[in-house]
Formats: sequence, structure tokens, C-alpha cells
Amino acid sequence: MSARENKDTTYKIQVMRDILAKKLTRSVVGSLVACVHCGMCNEACHYVLTHPDEPKMTPSFKADQLRKLFKYNYDWTGRVIPWWVGAKEPLSDADLEALKDIAFGTCTNCRRCTLNCPMGVDTATLNRIMRGLLSAVGVMPEGVRVVSKDQWEVGNQMGVLKEDYLETLDWMSEELVNEVGDESARIPIDKPGTEVMYTINPREAKYDPRTIAAAAKIFWAAGESWTMPSEGWDQTNFGLFSGDDQLGGASARRVYEKMKELGAKRLVISECGHGYRSTRCEGPNWVGIDQDWEMESSVFTMLRYLQEGRIRVDRNKLDRRTTYHDSCNLARSCGITEEPRELLRMVSNDFVEMVPNRAENFCCTGGGGAMSMSEYTPRRLKSAKVKADQIAATGAKIVVTSCHNCVDGLSDLIKHYKLGCEVKQLVELVADALVIEDCAVMRKSKAVVEMPKPALPLHGRRILVVDDEPDVRVFLRTVLEDAGAEIYEAPDGDHALAMARKHKPDLITLDLSMEGKDGVSTFAELRSDAEIAGIPVCIVTGHPEFRELIYQRAVPVPDGYMDKPVKDAELVDNLHRILGLAEHHKAPD
Amino acid sequence: MAERKVGDKIIKVIRGDITDLPVEAFVYDITADCKLSSGYGGAIASRGGKAIQDELATFGTLATGEATVTSGGNLKAKLIIHVNGPKFHEPDTKVKLARTVQSALRQADENGITVVAFPPIGAGLYQVPLDLSAKVIVDTVSEHLKNSTTIKEVLLVAFDAREYKPFEVAINGGN
Ligand code: SF4
Ligand code: SF4
Repeated sequence: MSARENKDTTYKIQVMRDILAKKLTRSVVGSLVACVHCGMCNEACHYVLTHPDEPKMTPSFKADQLRKLFKYNYDWTGRVIPWWVGAKEPLSDADLEALKDIAFGTCTNCRRCTLNCPMGVDTATLNRIMRGLLSAVGVMPEGVRVVSKDQWEVGNQMGVLKEDYLETLDWMSEELVNEVGDESARIPIDKPGTEVMYTINPREAKYDPRTIAAAAKIFWAAGESWTMPSEGWDQTNFGLFSGDDQLGGASARRVYEKMKELGAKRLVISECGHGYRSTRCEGPNWVGIDQDWEMESSVFTMLRYLQEGRIRVDRNKLDRRTTYHDSCNLARSCGITEEPRELLRMVSNDFVEMVPNRAENFCCTGGGGAMSMSEYTPRRLKSAKVKADQIAATGAKIVVTSCHNCVDGLSDLIKHYKLGCEVKQLVELVADALVIEDCAVMRKSKAVVEMPKPALPLHGRRILVVDDEPDVRVFLRTVLEDAGAEIYEAPDGDHALAMARKHKPDLITLDLSMEGKDGVSTFAELRSDAEIAGIPVCIVTGHPEFRELIYQRAVPVPDGYMDKPVKDAELVDNLHRILGLAEHHKAPD
Repeated sequence: MAERKVGDKIIKVIRGDITDLPVEAFVYDITADCKLSSGYGGAIASRGGKAIQDELATFGTLATGEATVTSGGNLKAKLIIHVNGPKFHEPDTKVKLARTVQSALRQADENGITVVAFPPIGAGLYQVPLDLSAKVIVDTVSEHLKNSTTIKEVLLVAFDAREYKPFEVAINGGN
């Protein structure tokens, strides 16, 4: 033990050091070393805007807490000039408590600051890592401990017991059957081999089951073959908030295992920002599995039903002004901004945008698990002034959002700032606007009217994404899937070659700097194997210096080349162009 | 179902919710302040009734590695053996965990229990590695069953598939 350390804290610091060492991926180290403290991100943060005299609210101050620990232990500057770079470790339990208040009480991990950082620093990721280090040594707000324990041991964040959950579904079934007068409207539980398995946020089962009934009504009206699972139904994941990747993996795995057991074709995730992000984007990485079913937000499902004519709605049923609040996880982290608006416009005549919106939108202030940490409620509500002003300026009577967390955060601030409006989700609005006599369930033949879908640029294309950074793979997958592509992923060269041989994708995006077999060797091997040599390859790299190496190889050059960070639209355009050219070359004269 | 025979006694791995099992006793990993809290504790309070927490309140605190017993209230189980296992990477986790399991088994004997159920103590929120928890429990229980004891059957209860596997490996002598 060094003289600097308090005896009781020693083992905790060692645990934190050890866990931090395992988290130091290239992108994390990038965010740790890249901050130049320019302050350009300050105005992006709702805590800074509402606490202008508190320097501790700045994103860089929050991320610096992890930087100090990193520099002290893992960066040469911290060893040589610790006083200069602020390399430091917590020395006592009081220090750990202070870190807890910063990591959990002054940041909702909303990622808005990242948008404004010219250096691409991801403060929210660093803050989540700090939360994970603290949770590992038992230092966390009581609410985080309670909710995490519920999710670990009861299988859902709110400790809803199985009998209560099933009883709630039964109750919702009764209501729906009574409303529509059709016994087949009952919610099917654990039905094997359906098209859809539908998961929810436990908040729905515990506090607001009307959204379950609304979804059931839509599935029934669309004539969908669907089921809800008796277990593995909680799509939310407190591991995303507490920083505990083990909890993240365990929770996601329960959902995936139920999907496998029931053999449903598509997992539909009810409107929930972090539930979507953790189940569809982060979950497969935490669990370390390849899942072979589709996963989508129910927003996409409802939109598809409308586009296919399986359900019809009457937008005149809603006579109040609506606005849309983008959940940080859906808009900023998963790029879902247009589909909810498209759907909302179908059920609302008077929709006005909140400003700023989409990826620029401000957090509801209930994100990152903030609603479970009552000790920070006064600060949270003070920081909510930004959001309250945004809402008030719209004059809307209904704030629509596709996230249960946001429903709670927004409802709380609406009450606090006396805004006189209410919060609803799209599922409720769509269910209310249904014109049942025009829905699939009422058509004798139940034949589905196919409506032409807008063509997506990469529709039906199968793309192999090769990158050793899980975050980058998630990003590429999300962007490309949104553009209609089907994605395979490989974390290194060996996997990439094996998957290319197995799946023969239409295109490969290839990172150059990877652990194990690097991209340059992988590319050379790819081009030398007659079976796969013809697959177009687009290099996507953060190391422009390796470009030369690729072109020095005695094999045909790559079909495309992009420097990281890549922009969504540019990526899709580029790949679309490469695929078009490849087809042109293949076509017989 | 994985199982191991120790003389005429048996250890079985099953899947289920430990707080809802029709067994004579099950083990609950409580905190030093003897508060039921959430998770299994919340399920115990909700299904078992207030009497259990009231009974716990009379004990004060429980040191790491120790065990105490309350009634099962309205639960299907007759008794709950509350243990305070090691938590959050504290030093000597393995030794403390073994001591915790021994304390639980001792309580089972003192109360004449023939069937007792264990969860993977410490795994989950408290971040004891699942493999370690499973192995220490299986080894300690196996040792105990070799001696004179009232216990005839020990159930190792996995809440999900992730918890089942390490128990299965440990009971088959791996790990
Ligand atoms: S995180 Fe980025 S924008 Fe914020 S202070 Fe650091 S370098 Fe500047
Ligand atoms: S992630 Fe959001 S809450 Fe956290 S510092 Fe950045 S802008 Fe502020």
C-alpha cells in the first residue's frame, strides 16, 4: 500500500484500476487523451446551462475524473509529470462518494456534448465507465443498487413478480376483449413459432399497462401472429446506466434466450430508448452472440403495418397540438429520428417541432437512470428548465415520445414547471386512431394489401462489417441496416475471411488496424482467394497512414476508401455507388 | 438435470425462482444491516409478508460469513436462512464465501432441515464471479454432506440459463 492511500480504500482502488485496464479500448483511450479543455461542449449540456456558475457541471470536469485515474496508472504523462496533467487517484471512501455524486448526479449520459466536441470526445462513455468502476466496489446511489438487484434477481428492473406480470397481461386481455368484442384479441403468452415476440419496459407492467393493451390492440387489428413471453420480457437494461456490463449481458441474454426458445422470427421492442439501444445495439456485444432474428422498435412495426395497409388510422381523432421529444438513446445513439415523425404525422393533424430537435434535442433529464436516484431530484429538476422552455415554446398539449424513461422524466418536469400538457407514446396515439373496420382483422380474406415501400438505398444488400471496435460495428450496422442492408459482423481478419467464405456478402467494409490479423493482410488474402476475390471492399479506417500499405500489395486495389469518423449519409452513398459499379462491371455486354 | 450423489444424499441443479420453491428452507444473501432490500429480498417481502422483516429487525446486524434464520412467513418455504456473503470484490472473497456456505449448512442442521436450496451466492449485483460462487458452493456442500447432517437434498437454484451452466460444470467436477 502506498502512503497516499487510505487503508479501507486500498482494495477498492485496486479493483477500479484492474477494471479500468480492461476497458481501455482504442476509442476509450482516444476520448481520454483527446480533450483539450476548449469548453466548446459546455453549452451543449443541460446541467451547465442551468448551473452557469458551477464549473463542476462542465462535461470536461466530469470526464476528467476518469482521466485522472487513467493518467495516474496507465499514461506515461501521469507517471512523469503527474502534477502537470492532474494524474490522481481517490484516496478515501469520501473521495469515492464525491466521485459517485459527479458520475451519477451530474450527468445523464445523454451524449449531447459529444456532438459539439471537435475532438470527438465521448464524455458519456467515460462517465459510464466511471459508474461501472464505482458500482464494482459497491459505491452507487441507493436507487441504482435497488434497481440493479431487482433486475439481477427478479429478472426485471422494477421487481415485478411473475404472477403479477401474468395477472396484468390477463387484465389487459380482458379489457381488450371487452372493448373489441373478439375473444381472439387476448394476449398470447409463450406461443411458439410466431412472427413477433413483443417485449416491454417493466414500467408498463407496473405503472401503466395501457400501453400493453394499446400494442395488443394494434397487433390484433393487423392480424399479426405474435406473443409475449412469460419470462425474458424486460427489454430494459440497467447495466447501461450502472456501467455493469455483466448485468447488461445477463439481461439481454434472458430476452434472446426466450426468443430462441419460442422460435419467433422478429423481436419487437416496445417504445423505449435505452431498451432499444441495449437490446438491439449493445446487447449482442455484451452477450457475445450472433443472433439470427430481426429486432426492431415497435415504431417501425406500426409504420410497416400502416404502409402495408394492415391497419388504418384516422388522424382527425386527435384534436390537440402535438410535439415530439427525441429520446437521446434513439436519436443520438441509434439514429432513429424520421420514422417516429412519419408515424406521428399519420395520427396528428397539428404537429409542431420542438427546437432544437432530432440528434440535437436536449435530454428529458430523466436519462441515464436519473429517475431512480432521488437524492439528485432537485438538481435534475433545475436542469430540466431547458427542456421545459423547449416544450412551452411549442404550445403543444401532448408531448409525444418513444421512450418510457422520457415519459417519466417529462411528466415530472411538466408537473414541476406547470406546463399544462401531458406525455403520450405513439402506441397509444396509433391505438386510439385505429379505424378497426378498415384493418386486416376485419377483412374476411385477411389478405394484406401490399403498399409500395419507399426503396432504401441498400435494400436487400448483404454487407460484412469488419472492425475490432464494437462501438464502430454498432454504428456501421445501425446506419447500414437503416439503409436497408442485412449485416454480418466480424471483429478481426480471421473471422472476416471465414464469414466472407461462408456468406459471400455483396460488399465488405474493412478496418485496417485490428488486433490479430490486421486489415492489410486480410485484404491481401481476400483478394488472393478466387472464391471471394471479387467481393467489393471498402476500407473504413482511422489510420490514413496504412493506406499506402494496401496500395503496395500486388492485388487489385480496394473499391472504396473512407476515413473515420465517417458520416452516415456519406457511408451509405459510397457503398451504394460501389455496389452499383460492381453490378455494372458484372453485367454482360 | 445435473446432480451429484454424496453417499445417500444428493445435490441437484434446477432452474427456478428460489423464493417461490416448495422447499423446507432456502438461502438468501442479505446485507449486514439485515434489511431485505430488493431482488430476492423484495420477492420475499412481497410473497412472504411483513413478519419476515420484523423478525430480521430483532437481530441487528450480521457479520460477513455468518447466517441466521427466520420463518418463511407466507412463502412456500418454512424457513429462510439469511447469510451475509462477501460483496463487491472484497478481499478474501473465496474464503469468506466458503465460510458463508458452512454457516448456512450449520443453520440447516440446527433447524433439522432435510431439503435446502442455495442461489449462486454473491453472483449478480455483488459481482462475485459466477464460476467461483458455483464451485465454492458445490465443494463446500459436498464436504458437508460427507459428515453427519440432517440434510438429505441440496438444490442449487439457477434463475436463468447463464446461472445454470456454472453449477452444472461444478457439479460434474469441472471448473
Ligand atoms: S470534451 Fe471536447 S469540446 Fe469538451 S472541452 Fe474537451 S475537447 Fe473541448
Ligand atoms: S453526456 Fe449529457 S449530461 Fe453528461 S456531460 Fe454530456 S451533455 Fe452533460
